[in-house]
Amino acid sequence: MRLYSQKEEIKLANRTYEVMYIIDPETEVDKITTLNETIGQLIEKEGGTIVRMDDIGRRNLAYPIKKKKEGYYVLFEVDGSGQEILELERRMRVNDAIMRYITVRVDEDRKKAEKIQAKREKRTSQRAKFRQTEGTAETAAEASV
Amino acid sequence: MAENDFEAPREREMAGGDEPYNDKMPRRFQRRRPRQVIPDYVDWRDVDYLRQFIPERGKIMPRRISMISAKDQRRIATAIKRARSMALLPFVWE
Repeated sequence: MRLYSQKEEIKLANRTYEVMYIIDPETEVDKITTLNETIGQLIEKEGGTIVRMDDIGRRNLAYPIKKKKEGYYVLFEVDGSGQEILELERRMRVNDAIMRYITVRVDEDRKKAEKIQAKREKRTSQRAKFRQTEGTAETAAEASV
Repeated sequence: MAENDFEAPREREMAGGDEPYNDKMPRRFQRRRPRQVIPDYVDWRDVDYLRQFIPERGKIMPRRISMISAKDQRRIATAIKRARSMALLPFVWE
């Protein structure tokens, strides 16, 4: 077993994941709702928090999976340490109703995007300032001529 | 006069060096699109956006045609691959 340093523990604590899975469309509606509820409870039990739960519903698949042309899509957005994802993936792998699942870690990319946006805003504001000063200088020069 | 000084060496190059060099130059691709602005965060679930990087056959559009930066191409390629694995996008179009 690996011991984490304090710094790494802090890093582990706040991660954001997107979990999407496809349920077999032939399962009954009651079973689908109970499955979603159990998964939500599992996440909260393991120490994660659900940011968003999106029931996308039936959708045509781009290619057949297990000879089925439709699938029931569900999306979770989870904040947590990663432990709940480990347990969740184990459960989803075993469950027969779930045809496919994917988990994507999104917090790093989102942070990067925010950084880029902040930089861009700063640059544009600086440019605007520079332009203003240039304009005033020109008018001053014209006035002197 | 200053402008002429700048133009003179370029003309010399055109006359002497350019023509034999032209055979070895790789062929330039005709299909060029203007550089697109890629959003800072490429969402892998946004199928309608990703579709513009997928020509008829279902393959990922090469960078030399879409003319996006290498960084953006990597981001878009991973997004497309994720969408494919969840059957949001096809691997091949028939």
